[in-house]
Amino acid sequence: MPMTRRSLLEGLAAVGGTSLLLMGMEAFGMGIASEASLPPPLQGGGKGKSVVILGAGIGGLTAAYELGRAGYRVTVIEARDFAGGRSQTAKAGFQLTELGGETQTCRFDAGHYINHGPWRIPFHQRSTLHYVKAFGVEVELFNNDNDASYVYFTKGGGPLANRPLRKMELAADMRGRAAEILAKSTKAGALDLPLSAEDRDLFVAYLTAEGYLDKASLDYAGTEGRGWLVKPGAGLVGGTPSTPYKLTDLLHSKAWQVLASVSNWDQQRTMFQPRGGMAMLPAAFAARVGKAIRYGTVVERIRQDGAGVTVSTRDAKGRVAEVKADYCLCTIPLSVLKMIDNGLSDGHRTAMNGVSYAPVGKIGLQMKRRFWEDNHAIYGGHVYTDNPDIGVISLPSTGWMGAKGVLLGYYNFMGDAAKVSALSPADRAKLAVAFGQKIFPEYADSFESAFSVAWHRVKYNLGGWATWSDEARARDYPVLLQPDGRIYLAGEHLSHIGGWQAGAIESAWMQIDAIHKRASAA
Amino acid sequence: MRAALLGLLLALPATAAPADGQQLFAHNCAACHMPDGAGIPGAFPALAGNAFVTGDPAAAAATVLNGRGGMPSFRDGLTDEEVAAVLSYVRAHFGNTAAAVPAETVAATRTGKAAEPARPMPAH
Repeated sequence: MPMTRRSLLEGLAAVGGTSLLLMGMEAFGMGIASEASLPPPLQGGGKGKSVVILGAGIGGLTAAYELGRAGYRVTVIEARDFAGGRSQTAKAGFQLTELGGETQTCRFDAGHYINHGPWRIPFHQRSTLHYVKAFGVEVELFNNDNDASYVYFTKGGGPLANRPLRKMELAADMRGRAAEILAKSTKAGALDLPLSAEDRDLFVAYLTAEGYLDKASLDYAGTEGRGWLVKPGAGLVGGTPSTPYKLTDLLHSKAWQVLASVSNWDQQRTMFQPRGGMAMLPAAFAARVGKAIRYGTVVERIRQDGAGVTVSTRDAKGRVAEVKADYCLCTIPLSVLKMIDNGLSDGHRTAMNGVSYAPVGKIGLQMKRRFWEDNHAIYGGHVYTDNPDIGVISLPSTGWMGAKGVLLGYYNFMGDAAKVSALSPADRAKLAVAFGQKIFPEYADSFESAFSVAWHRVKYNLGGWATWSDEARARDYPVLLQPDGRIYLAGEHLSHIGGWQAGAIESAWMQIDAIHKRASAA
Repeated sequence: MRAALLGLLLALPATAAPADGQQLFAHNCAACHMPDGAGIPGAFPALAGNAFVTGDPAAAAATVLNGRGGMPSFRDGLTDEEVAAVLSYVRAHFGNTAAAVPAETVAATRTGKAAEPARPMPAH
């Protein structure tokens, strides 16, 4: 049997155990050192030791669950009345009051919701999926890429701008046209390619397959995957093919900007979502660590000395209390932590200024009819636009073929999110519906109610997720990974998986491992 | 790849009209710093009577370009002229009386690379 890379790695594992296996994987450039699939084994346990955890988001819940299981005495301080942090689901009755804004109450029908925070779990985020599986959280597939969905670009020109194109048409034609040019040029010897004659033939064969080209002429004349003019059925004629778009029209539409050979690592097709909303995941954690959580309690002051950490808190009734513990794991977003009397060293406080937080906006729109399914045959996925106020319109991957549905009417970032968030909730909905109407003629008539969030205006978050400049990542991030005395920081902001729940989980794993090693040595 | 695509999607068309500080403020700043520049205590600093805002123009420009704490970077979203216009507006309103900021000051401050931007939603 020939020695494949896999068999070599298996051999290394057999001889030298995991560490040799890891070294072998590193040597192959498959290093997994910064990614974790399983929580750290907290060997020896934590009996008689205590940790106060600040924040019951996914990071804090992870730490509370694992440390609690290992025997640590754990107290979790949570400002909100519920667990989950940004992992929220708005359904009927859910309320949100943004800073400087009015109170919104979600009016969706029973069974309908919007995940206005995290909404999807990529297949490779093994850490998040570890808890999904361990807790038996029921999930369904999240359609993160739908060939039938529309691309609607407004800033280009020509006949294909300002009109919805099916992504299947756009992808087939753009890539078919490009493959045709490349294949014909290669065959004619017009390109100075560093390829042997045999390789050149294979290259042309690849392009022919990639672009659905005619094998003899190398012409691209469309392909059934771009859709039909008349679909095949049971009649005498087996369907009427559709006509591909012209290359010049495709180019001028600028809609090709959504195309790439493969999606980014964190945007590939196969994703999951908890059935019933993302809040089901923190609910599963809270069911296991709930008694350790003090809800409706804000952190007012953090102090430490050689013996431990003291956290001063205030609950909703104004009662103040002190929580003392051997160590503190603080998962409060840095945008919020820097406003608290945190007692951190100058080094940590300076480093916290290196991060900035992304303004992020989302809006859920309840539609009385699933017209995107009934009339357009679009089941889940995203409608792509170049309008930065809107970003995408995402169709729900739940409640298929039901009566109503809640879609995501916009997902905006940064300055665009700041701009849209200055509108009242009613005006945000107007903006979203007016744009959607350009793509779907049924949009405005079907609209029933909206629920929007601007994360930068949400009191205990002040931003959607942390963003690091290259300089701050090099200068400040390493500082914040180190403990400040007995205080450890964790969260999506202290990972390279920013903005994802996996970042919070793996950051928590890393820091509880560090706390445990130190506590065990003490 | 992510950054490149985002750049395409967010690229703003160059406008010939002079940057309007008041409108830029309404669009980019007012959601957090509030329309009257009073901020929200404990979350968003007031711009009215703020010594940092009315102080060193380069430091103020750097904050708009790079973000800080809960504040995002506006490096990719605003041109030098627009940053200058919005800073000049803030420095001359809400009771503030500091001098205008020239675009050259912003340009000189614009060094280094932006924070990793929010993820776009690419297809394939």
